[in-house]
Amino acid sequence: MSSKEKLPVLQGTLDLIVLRTLQTMGPQHAYAIATRLGQISGELLQLNQGTLYPALVRLEQQGRIKGTWGKTQTNREAKFYAITKAGEKALAEETRRWRQISGVVEKLLAEGA
Amino acid sequence: MRRFILRVVNLFRRAAAEREMKREIDSHLRLLQEEFESRGLPREEAALAARRSYGGVEQAKELHREARSFTGAEQFVKDLRYGTRSLARSPGFTLTAVAALALGIGLNTTVFRLYDAIALKPLPVAGPDRVVRVKRWFQHRLAGDIQYNFAYPEYEYLWDHNTVFSGITAATYQVPVSAAMEGILDGQRVTGHAVSANYFAELGIKPLLGRTFLPDEDRLPGANPMIVLGYAFWEEKLHSDPGVLGRTLKLNGVAYTIIGIMPRRFTGTDLFPVSSAFWAPLSMVRQLDPGFESDWRTQWREPTRPRFQIIGRLKNGISRGEAQAEIDALVRGYLSQFRQEEPTTAITLQKTAYFRSTDDIRFQAASAGVLIVVSLILLAACANVANMLLARGAARQREIGIRLAVGAGRARIVRQLLTESMLLSLLAGMAGLLLSAIAGPPLWSMAASFLRDIRGGLTELDFGSDSRVVLYGMGLSLLTCACFGIAPALRSTRPNFCAAGSPRLRGALLGVQAAISVLLLTFCGTVVSNLFQSIRAYPGFESHDVYALFSIAEAPHLRERLEMLPELRSVATGRLPLSGTFTPPINTGQALERALATYTSDGYFETLGIRLLRGRGFTHSEADVQAPVAVISESTARHIWPGEDPIGKRFSLDLNFRNQFTEFEVVGISADARFASLSEVDPLHVYLPSASQGGLIVRTQGDRGKALAALSAAAPDIDVVNLEEGFVSIQRGVFQALSVLSGTLALLAVLLAGVGIYGVMAFVVTQRTKEIGIRMALGASSHGVTRNIVLQGLRPVFIGTAIGFVAAAALMAVERSTETFPEPLARAVFAHPELYAELVLMLVVAGLASIVPARRAARVDPMIALRYE
Repeated sequence: MSSKEKLPVLQGTLDLIVLRTLQTMGPQHAYAIATRLGQISGELLQLNQGTLYPALVRLEQQGRIKGTWGKTQTNREAKFYAITKAGEKALAEETRRWRQISGVVEKLLAEGA
Repeated sequence: MRRFILRVVNLFRRAAAEREMKREIDSHLRLLQEEFESRGLPREEAALAARRSYGGVEQAKELHREARSFTGAEQFVKDLRYGTRSLARSPGFTLTAVAALALGIGLNTTVFRLYDAIALKPLPVAGPDRVVRVKRWFQHRLAGDIQYNFAYPEYEYLWDHNTVFSGITAATYQVPVSAAMEGILDGQRVTGHAVSANYFAELGIKPLLGRTFLPDEDRLPGANPMIVLGYAFWEEKLHSDPGVLGRTLKLNGVAYTIIGIMPRRFTGTDLFPVSSAFWAPLSMVRQLDPGFESDWRTQWREPTRPRFQIIGRLKNGISRGEAQAEIDALVRGYLSQFRQEEPTTAITLQKTAYFRSTDDIRFQAASAGVLIVVSLILLAACANVANMLLARGAARQREIGIRLAVGAGRARIVRQLLTESMLLSLLAGMAGLLLSAIAGPPLWSMAASFLRDIRGGLTELDFGSDSRVVLYGMGLSLLTCACFGIAPALRSTRPNFCAAGSPRLRGALLGVQAAISVLLLTFCGTVVSNLFQSIRAYPGFESHDVYALFSIAEAPHLRERLEMLPELRSVATGRLPLSGTFTPPINTGQALERALATYTSDGYFETLGIRLLRGRGFTHSEADVQAPVAVISESTARHIWPGEDPIGKRFSLDLNFRNQFTEFEVVGISADARFASLSEVDPLHVYLPSASQGGLIVRTQGDRGKALAALSAAAPDIDVVNLEEGFVSIQRGVFQALSVLSGTLALLAVLLAGVGIYGVMAFVVTQRTKEIGIRMALGASSHGVTRNIVLQGLRPVFIGTAIGFVAAAALMAVERSTETFPEPLARAVFAHPELYAELVLMLVVAGLASIVPARRAARVDPMIALRYE
């Protein structure tokens, strides 16, 4: 058991995180995405690696990402996901909304302090 | 077939998706493992660490699957397949359940199919939803066919002044005539209609052959003797010979040219579904029916004599309500210039259907009654299947327990069990629909064959499965699924599930079933015993030698001529028994009631063989002047003047239903008769003198053939109907058919109850085998064990029986209230010994169904019982 307190992924933000990761890093397989998330958050974000899949399936069904099978550097086969045009658009929209919401929340919290 | 293909494709797709998912997860795990290995962990530990880090693989797969398929459709397919397998594994259970439900659903759907064909399907005309019948309502609440009766001037006025109809047609009620055609027909009695020239054009019906009437062909009286033939008549009597077009057919001796043949589907628009043999233009109406006065076209008359039915077609964009408001105002405005004896208070426009009386409260009550009875059977079947499912759920306790323990959600299992129930009910629904499609037409033809002789040829009804019927059947099966499936599914998946711990629900289900069975048994049983009694009982009048005479043409002084015939024992006029009722209010000084009243001439009692117990019948002059004297039946005398001599007493009748009472003096007492219906002796029946009302009735003596020959020689234009064959035996036949139907329903209910009780008791005994073993090992006698089980099992049955009995009494009260002369309720319900026999039958069946398994339990060897499970 890890003693470090981990944050659960906020409902609905996982899609945003995945899309952003793919946009900045280019096509990645699921493992790399999970690793990247861990790195960025300084192991702060708790993400059961298996739970990543529903998000990937959902995004792929929505046409926001596209998966193709390829080889890793270590010559292992893996499915690489890349962001699509529709995905870029959705990301922009989601980002704008996220900023709005977090801005509002930030403001509220600042007022009380 | 298409569904099958789709399913196969789905299967294939699902397998591919599963493969893809596994491949991806595997690759992920290998990458993780690599990572751990690179940190220096040995290979095995790295693999384990990878799995740990990944989280539950199976959970991940399940999440993956849920995300992959939309709204659990995939799970549903899985449930379906699982359900199919599980049902196939216990074919005995599946067959019983489907059969019970299919019977219930089939019965209900058949009834609905009949109702649909009679009351919901529109007439076979073009654009039937725009076609309406005009109906009038009277101040004195006269009801029936007369409400569709309009004088020609009323029709013409509407034609000229309305703005809501695109067309408006007039047609007579059916007119009986004798039809003759050289070499083919010699004076056979057929019925047809005289119609306005625009009739076919406005209804949008094209002839199969030839043409229909041209505008104005109905104008000039006596002109254009031409007819369009009905398909059934053309097929049966003229052998579908297209060569008859242009030939002549004689109706009542007048020659008509055949100008067209109607298609099979159009049989007429009369109030009752009879096939019209022919249609003639209105110009010929007096030749067809001499009862029409010469000035029928111009002179308004009271709507008490049959005239014309009006059917209109609404203009586009005009609603029925709007049209009704206008027509109502027009007719009443027109009528305001006359002094009416029967004022018309309102006009309604009615949707057309095969039967006119579908908005009649009695028709609806009867339909609802039948529907209630058959849905009770379905409900009994549901209770039955629910109990079986409950038992099955208990037997599957282990399977369900394991699935709950390994983490399946309760909702998931409930959904799975419900899917299984739905499979059952859909199977049953399809079987039921099939059953009703097979059973509908013969049922109708049976009913039609009884009615044929009374009303002439009935039309074939369209029993095709329209969307309404299929929807009804399928909706019903889903409803039954909810009815029998939900409670057992919830019960079987309770977290602290304990099979023996659900006796209350089981008891309740048993009780419901017993209640329904008793309800049906009492109700149907009473009906059957009443019917049998009606069939067996002497009706109180002679019927074998009595003939009713229907004259086709006018025959003056016919009665006098017939009285000369030595072959006839007596001749009279009056209404025949079983041919309708007239029940005016009667005031006896104590209470206002309704009495059956019959106008009769002198010689009536002798002709019908109704015995006069005291006093006298009517004299010729009394009949002629409608003298204020009366003969009353024995029951009437007892009812009004108990213990007194009624001769010379007075009572009064409101003969016109207008609160204008006429006084009559009792001059004689007749024996009781089943005059209104064979089902019962008329409680109140008064005979009044009249020489002009009702038809001629004769009673023959000696050889019947000779008498009939003499009759037809004396009056060649006359139709003769035997009272026994034409009226009494028809009603007996209807009663017989009804009693067979009721008996079958009742037996079905008892059978279902027996099966249900047996199933539950057998299950309870199995559940309690161990307990019984312990009891017996401790010294309980096998007799005591049996008694204990039977009593415990039968308690809900007793309670249900009592409830069912009360419900049956209530139902009979409702049924009684629709009758003309209701029998006191207490007598109707409790005075029938058969009723008690039925209750005993029910209890015997219940007892047998529970004793058999109980005895089996009691015979169990305690040692085996203790080791059981």
